[in-house]
Amino acid sequence: MTEAKIGVFICDCGGAMKNIDFPTIKGELDAIADVASVNLSSDLCLEEGRAKMLSCIKDENIDRVVVAACAPQLKEHVFQQVLRSAALNSYLMSMADIREQCSWAHEGDVTTKACGLIKMAIGRARLLQPVEQKDLLVKQEVLLVGGGFSAMSSAIQLSRLGLHTTLLVGDSALGVRSRELEELLGLEVAPMTEAIDRDKNIEIVTSAELVGMEGTAGNFAVRIRKGGEEFVQSFGAIIFATGPRTEILPQDPGSKSSTRIVSQERLARWLRASSPQPRPRSVAFVFDSSDECSRLPTLVTLNNALAVKRSWGSEVYVFCKNVKVDSEGAEELYHQARERGVVFLKFEDSPGISIEDGLVRIEAKDVLLGQDATLTCDVVVAEEKVSPAAGTDDLRSLLNVRTDSRGFLQDDNVHLYPVASERKGIFFVGDCRGDLDAARIVADVSSAVMGAHELLARGRITVEAERVKVDPQKCRACLTCIRVCPHSAIQLVRIDSEREVAEISDLACDACGICAGICPAKAIAFQGYSDEQILAQIEVLKAS
Amino acid sequence: MSREIIAFCCEHSATPAANLAGRLGLHYSENLRLIPVPCAGRVDVVHILKAFEKGAAAVLVLGCEDGACHHIEGNTRARERVRYSRTLLEEIGIDGRRVGMFNLAPDTPHKFLDIVNETNETLKELGGGK
Ligand SMILES: Cc1cc2nc3c(=O)[nH]c(=O)nc-3n(C[C@H](O)[C@H](O)[C@H](O)COP(=O)(O)OP(=O)(O)OC[C@H]3O[C@@H](n4cnc5c(N)ncnc54)[C@H](O)[C@@H]3O)c2cc1C
Ligand code: SF4
Ligand code: SF4
Repeated sequence: MTEAKIGVFICDCGGAMKNIDFPTIKGELDAIADVASVNLSSDLCLEEGRAKMLSCIKDENIDRVVVAACAPQLKEHVFQQVLRSAALNSYLMSMADIREQCSWAHEGDVTTKACGLIKMAIGRARLLQPVEQKDLLVKQEVLLVGGGFSAMSSAIQLSRLGLHTTLLVGDSALGVRSRELEELLGLEVAPMTEAIDRDKNIEIVTSAELVGMEGTAGNFAVRIRKGGEEFVQSFGAIIFATGPRTEILPQDPGSKSSTRIVSQERLARWLRASSPQPRPRSVAFVFDSSDECSRLPTLVTLNNALAVKRSWGSEVYVFCKNVKVDSEGAEELYHQARERGVVFLKFEDSPGISIEDGLVRIEAKDVLLGQDATLTCDVVVAEEKVSPAAGTDDLRSLLNVRTDSRGFLQDDNVHLYPVASERKGIFFVGDCRGDLDAARIVADVSSAVMGAHELLARGRITVEAERVKVDPQKCRACLTCIRVCPHSAIQLVRIDSEREVAEISDLACDACGICAGICPAKAIAFQGYSDEQILAQIEVLKAS
Repeated sequence: MSREIIAFCCEHSATPAANLAGRLGLHYSENLRLIPVPCAGRVDVVHILKAFEKGAAAVLVLGCEDGACHHIEGNTRARERVRYSRTLLEEIGIDGRRVGMFNLAPDTPHKFLDIVNETNETLKELGGGK
């Protein structure tokens, strides 16, 4: 390797680093053999400063740049742009944060430390190599798994953006469940399914399931089983909208399946079609004894309670620990319910529910009145537990993603965007992520559709080529990296008849470097954070 | 032995926490040398051992809070490696307390300061440090 020509650009941020003696630093750095030029500035990130930096890089034929200034998080992109203008790869720059991490972090003169930090950056800069960009082709097809409100809205939006979508529906038809919840959700399902049927951009595969998946974002090879046959189809992105599962919490075990104790869904079905005869004179709702979030149960109860009032005119009682009205429109529904005479009773301990003489008896301690309240009703709408849909666990292991503490898809990691997963190109929307109401589902759908569109719209996507790369000569195919990569970006590929080696997908890789840290053969190089580049910064310790 | 503490800092948590400390004018000892890494999981045993070879008084690996790692498990991988380095250090007669793994969030500059101060306290006992 020919010797680098390093240009050092130091900025005192308009005089904001008074405890550093810059001329002394310049003197010390000028003495380093491969440092071609040391420049002091007061406004490096502003137009004038950038122009001077640019002409210096050009005039002196600088091929490695060190910028010593504020935290890289703030202005790195500005200086990278200067490198690009000078026709230099933006990876050929190393920054020393002498402001936040030095001048402002310590009292007294910090010239020695600042000089040390710049030398660390010089050590790293010396070893930097360019990272080129390249375009990868992506398949402009989206797979949507599910057949409910979330999946249907996603398909319609994707189609509007011109993306071709395949709807993989587990049931025998679209929107089976949504139809039952139609009134609760305040939507009409028939127009949605009709629009989808007519849409040439949307293909529907019913009574089918996803049984396998390989590949990475831009090109997932998905194995689909339908009617005993399997086929493989390729998709650029996949959106899962597999919904939740609900079950009535164990009440009195003997009375669980009674026609007097029903689920919200069953009540909604009754209200739509064949009301029981005679109409129930009194209906009680019970929810929120299990300390789970009561946002969705509140909303469902308010909607259903009002519907009972409207359709049957029954007496309505709501037993709950907390009414949580922070979903869109819930506050308004609560007021309507009170106006229509719905009675709310607040309890702390779970109410006792039993069947007596064909009626349901509820016993609870009302905490506001401080008294035991006993009520006999025709029908009780029992507390429900919302949990991940059946098969979620299989999906999780098939996709190699994590579920959150309650087992829902999409981990509750604060760093992940709400609908994105740790795998690029795979999104989760709607109630497969937890108990979301319709307004939140709409937001989910928009984010996922935007994510898929961003990835696929151009038919190709620009990535950094081989920023993290396996050296096929060194790789011993031990699979360690494949096992630890949090973004499933590494696959084994055959290079000749004898050998298979690990290969990293530039698109799926999120540049964390975990693989580089763990590979026992030291076969993985990470441009910008290679072992040599990290060690070069440590090397300076002894020298300073 | 020099007095320096080498801190490998995750760019999603510890590095921004350190920057925030600077911006808020929270002062800490000058002997801290921060080396940014894209994830605590990037840090290799070799990096830790090399730092001691070059005379560091202590080495810190600072990553995201448990369950909130930007790269899902980078912080737990880092913890495993720190633990392993500690046994190696003990074998060659270097006190294992000189290497430590800590978790912090990007918006917790005070925690960053506590970690630096605590490490200096430990070094008072072990030698080196500020
Ligand atoms: C009883 C009840 C009442 C509700 N009431 C309200 C309300 O009043 N207001 C409100 O805003 N929200 C309410 N919600 C919440 C939410 O708005 C609805 O649950 C909504 O229907 C969720 O839509 P989804 O598409 O995410 O899930 P779903 O409608 O459940 O659709 C999931 C679909 O995925 C399919 N599927 C599952 N697994 C697979 C698989 N592996 N492969 C292929 N297909 C699969 C299922 O067959 C189903 O068609 C209620 C929810 C429930 C359960
Ligand atoms: S860990 Fe290293 S040696 Fe093992 S498969 Fe991955 S690249 Fe190859
Ligand atoms: S750098 Fe991280 S995301 Fe990229 S291949 Fe390695 S472990 Fe996977």
